[in-house]
Amino acid sequence: MLKKNVLVIGGGPAGLEAARGVADLGYPVKIIEKADRLGGMPILADYAALTPNMVNAEEAMGEMIQRIENDELIDICTSTEVIGVSGSSPEINVNLKGPEGEEHIQPGSVIVATGFKHFDPGKETQMYGYYEFDDVITLVDTEKMLKAGKFVRPSTGEPPKQVCFIQCVGSRDRQIGNAWCSKVCCGIASKEAIEIRHLLPDCKVFVFYIDMRMYGFWEDEIYWKAQEKYKVNFIRGIVTEVTKRGDQVVVKGEDTTMGRPMEVPMDVVILSVGMEPSEGTSRMAELFQLPLESHGYIESIGGALNTVVTSVPGIFVAGAAGGPADLEDSVSMGGAAALKAASYLRKTGLLAA
Amino acid sequence: MSIYSDAKYTDVPLEKKQELFDEVKADMRYDHQLYGCYECGICVAACPSARFYDFSPRVFAQVMAREDVDTFYELLNDSVWDCSQCFSCTRCPRQNNPGGIITIMREVAVNHGMQSAKDALKAYSRIIYKIMSTGTQVAPDMLQPDFFPDWGPDVKQVSDNLDVWRRCVPPETMHTTELAWDVSEKTRLELYMIWKLTGNLEMIEKIDEGIFMILEEVMEELLEENGYDIDDYENLLEEEEDE
Repeated sequence: MLKKNVLVIGGGPAGLEAARGVADLGYPVKIIEKADRLGGMPILADYAALTPNMVNAEEAMGEMIQRIENDELIDICTSTEVIGVSGSSPEINVNLKGPEGEEHIQPGSVIVATGFKHFDPGKETQMYGYYEFDDVITLVDTEKMLKAGKFVRPSTGEPPKQVCFIQCVGSRDRQIGNAWCSKVCCGIASKEAIEIRHLLPDCKVFVFYIDMRMYGFWEDEIYWKAQEKYKVNFIRGIVTEVTKRGDQVVVKGEDTTMGRPMEVPMDVVILSVGMEPSEGTSRMAELFQLPLESHGYIESIGGALNTVVTSVPGIFVAGAAGGPADLEDSVSMGGAAALKAASYLRKTGLLAA
Repeated sequence: MSIYSDAKYTDVPLEKKQELFDEVKADMRYDHQLYGCYECGICVAACPSARFYDFSPRVFAQVMAREDVDTFYELLNDSVWDCSQCFSCTRCPRQNNPGGIITIMREVAVNHGMQSAKDALKAYSRIIYKIMSTGTQVAPDMLQPDFFPDWGPDVKQVSDNLDVWRRCVPPETMHTTELAWDVSEKTRLELYMIWKLTGNLEMIEKIDEGIFMILEEVMEELLEENGYDIDDYENLLEEEEDE
């Protein structure tokens, strides 16, 4: 008896939602995750609170994970990777490598939810001194500290008096080849700014931006809140360089709405790093022969009205593997991909009776 | 320290700037006049002053919302008097009221007797005197050819026979030349009490001591004639409540 299931690759928000969706529709699903635990970036990168609702990341992801555990239709394999793919639907051969060795499976459909990686701010140029100055950190480093319930200057361990975010680091930059907006950094920076002001009411917080992209309810729920309640200083103008002066770092830029040059000493500079396709995403594209769109993410050919379908029959993409995505996008895509994958199984008659 | 490398008034101590800023912020109107600022410029586009001066209501909203105390001080000195207080700026999508913020800032500038406030209001001392002492502003006898040469030769004809012209105006209360209209003693008395009790007279003292002294004398006379003691606030208030 040939029993086909859906293979979900990636245990982050998109993959978890996809696996749950497939099982809820009554189809068997195998979810594999390269890391030793489920949860994806919010868990692996130690996010403190999720954007935009500021719920505890561990609790919220914990709930998602709990919903797929103990479901007899869901087979969860952590520390497991795809190492080889051959054939095509309906005979897709996938070789997996997990803690118990290699395994060969023949899924009826595949959902690729391998996500993104954070831009490495030292990758192309070092103008912001990420690897040079202790007090220049990223959004991700900030999440780690906030998760531990504190925010300090890495160089001294003391609470800072003046902090800034620099937006669009690694995004919207033709020089480094990343022409896209990473969608979430404006919201995350505003969220972290609120958290810092909440922890340290005497600390001034600046956000240097190009445009603030606060879609939908993010507008008043994070942006207005940061401005009006937490008095975060949003200044339109991107920092050109970060230099060292005494025991502080100095940011230089232009306040474009005021038309005035700025030079401001900071205790901590936070780089709002954007998204790039993860290694897993690039690797899966290669193995499953999925064409990439022009920015290097897995191409979805359905346009705005079908966000998860790829040009390879039976293979779907969900979450940031298909392009910059926030949690709302990722989970929505996970659900949509589950539906498409289950429909695919049904239509191709591959589900065993 | 200012975030701008071209900052002005760097010699003024931050504590002083902060004190003035805190006073503006503590005003009961403030919270309803300022939220956040998008720096979108809709207020500037609507602002008549912005068309003629280097003045921007947006800058007021954004600087105050950012709580940029250094730049606030620059505005308090340099641009707070350039606003015409027309409140066209209230079409703000965030419901800010830059003109209203400016009203509060002007009051703080006056209450602190800032030199820039004195300079800005200097030209108005005659108007202040006229309004506060009589309750009317422009008087017919101001209409003199020397004052308004650009109004042409007819002005002379009018000013030569001002009394006759004024008596041609139907309402009897306007048969005046030194005042725009007859202001009754009761009205003046009430006005003086208002100037006094609302602290307006004190504000005048801060910016123009000469005018203040003249005004106080005029007011004191009328109040005393009517049995009020100008320096006894409670006496002024009680009399009002008794009525």
